[in-house]
Amino acid sequence: MLSLLKIEWLKIKNYRTFWILTGLFAVFMPLFNYLLANGVMQMGPGGMNLSYAFPSVWGFFGFVASFFIVFIAFVIVILITNEHRYRTNRQNVIDGWSRLEFFHAKVLLTVKLAVLTTIYTGIWCLVFGAGYSGGFEHATQEMEKLFYFFLLCLNYYGFALMLSFLLKRSGLVIGLYMVYVLMVESIAASYLNWQFKGMYIGNFLPLQCSDQLLPFPLMKLAEGMMNQQAAPPPDYAYAIASGVYIILYYFISRQKLLKSDW
Amino acid sequence: MAEILSIQNISKSYGPVQALKQVSFQVPEGSVFGILGPNGSGKTTLLATLLDILKADSGSYDWFGGMNPEAARRQTGALLETPNFYHYLSAEKNLQINAALKQKGATDIDRVLTLVKLLPRKHSSFNTYSLGMKQRLAIANALLGYPRVLLLDEPTNGLDPEGIAEIRELIRSLRQEGITIIMASHLLDEVEKVCTDVAILKKGDLLLSGNVKAVFQNEDMLEAGAEDLEKLKSLLEQSELISEVTQNGHVLQVVLRPGIMADAVNRYCFERGVVLQHLSLRRKSLESRFMELTRS
Repeated sequence: MLSLLKIEWLKIKNYRTFWILTGLFAVFMPLFNYLLANGVMQMGPGGMNLSYAFPSVWGFFGFVASFFIVFIAFVIVILITNEHRYRTNRQNVIDGWSRLEFFHAKVLLTVKLAVLTTIYTGIWCLVFGAGYSGGFEHATQEMEKLFYFFLLCLNYYGFALMLSFLLKRSGLVIGLYMVYVLMVESIAASYLNWQFKGMYIGNFLPLQCSDQLLPFPLMKLAEGMMNQQAAPPPDYAYAIASGVYIILYYFISRQKLLKSDW
Repeated sequence: MAEILSIQNISKSYGPVQALKQVSFQVPEGSVFGILGPNGSGKTTLLATLLDILKADSGSYDWFGGMNPEAARRQTGALLETPNFYHYLSAEKNLQINAALKQKGATDIDRVLTLVKLLPRKHSSFNTYSLGMKQRLAIANALLGYPRVLLLDEPTNGLDPEGIAEIRELIRSLRQEGITIIMASHLLDEVEKVCTDVAILKKGDLLLSGNVKAVFQNEDMLEAGAEDLEKLKSLLEQSELISEVTQNGHVLQVVLRPGIMADAVNRYCFERGVVLQHLSLRRKSLESRFMELTRS
């Protein structure tokens, strides 16, 4: 397992595109949060009084960060589609990997990126939380939100991985990914939630179920008021749904990779 | 000789196009095995199947008498169709990745780069290389870690005449070291100069395979000429020494029966009162044999 990751590291450590996209995430994610925290930028009309203090920092910071993880999703798309474009996937197999090892190297890299994204975001949460609370009191409360953020990363990255293996062209994958993330799913989710009132079916779409783990602050409250006939599903239901989708991405990609020509 | 590779009834189709039809043959250890065929005859498809890049529809193959395919590939150096490297990495860094894939140390990199004369450019990134240099790097990669078998698909693609001659020399010296070489090519000249065994493919059919001498045996041809060509022709047509006579301008092309030498023909004609003005032995070239086989 380590040797697979070691080889992946050899491939990316001198790849400028990788560092630029990762750097964009690393800089803009905390910067955007910083501007929101200081009221330079505002969310919603008139802005909302959102607290970066513990414990609410975990949920709110995670919500804002979730917009920036697409940079890392693009990294995954580019790393996978490059292999196909330059036929280095073939060369990897020619030189001794099995197809499954090639696949697992990319899966492990994806998991590793999700872990690193989470750790990086977690560190910033602690910094902001400590800054705005003046200490670490209540710091461990709601820390499960960080685990939800990890699930959300895995879901978004796993979806990118699957699309990359299925479609193989970077432009096509990035285009479809963005259209799906920005439009298709929110339209479908709204429609399903409206059509089947009170059943929250739209919330269980592939990426939406993870978004529900880190919702727009105050959204939960509003949801509860609008749909008084049924209480919104608990967090663990969304967490399980996210897990199921992540496993599904794995098996769909794996099947495609093992059976088809390269 | 033991077999390095054994192929049984491999078939493969791309939609309606049947790229390989029930192809079977064996590659003996220590041979230089040429896979010949016109463009689109299935050479690359066959090699890619043997490397698990493509999945055969049916049939099977065994490396080294049934070794695990990944382990077998680590002992095989292969160059398939085009050089495949990370375009943003240098030659050295690319080979480091491939050495790791082969589970070999990176200490061999300078040696193989020296063999293909790329050592001075080892720090340049792959996308600055010319076509010929890319091909050389692909050959260097195939040689990395002292493989037991080399699988080369059109190894001289993109090389200048000097480069082609160098690769030919390299193949010869590798063979001396006991390395088995499997080479696909449409350049017959190239194959004729280095191969010990051949398999000929045409539109996915294996036309024939075996030792070069066996495949092209009894194909010696004489060119003969005399003052009275008509008389010579009728004389030769009656002879038991000869299987076929055709006129080609001022000379006759004569195909001999197995085991018959030119001196026997000369004596036969002289004893019957025809003195030959011209007599030369022509080995029927691989090219004419190949054309004969693939055209029909």
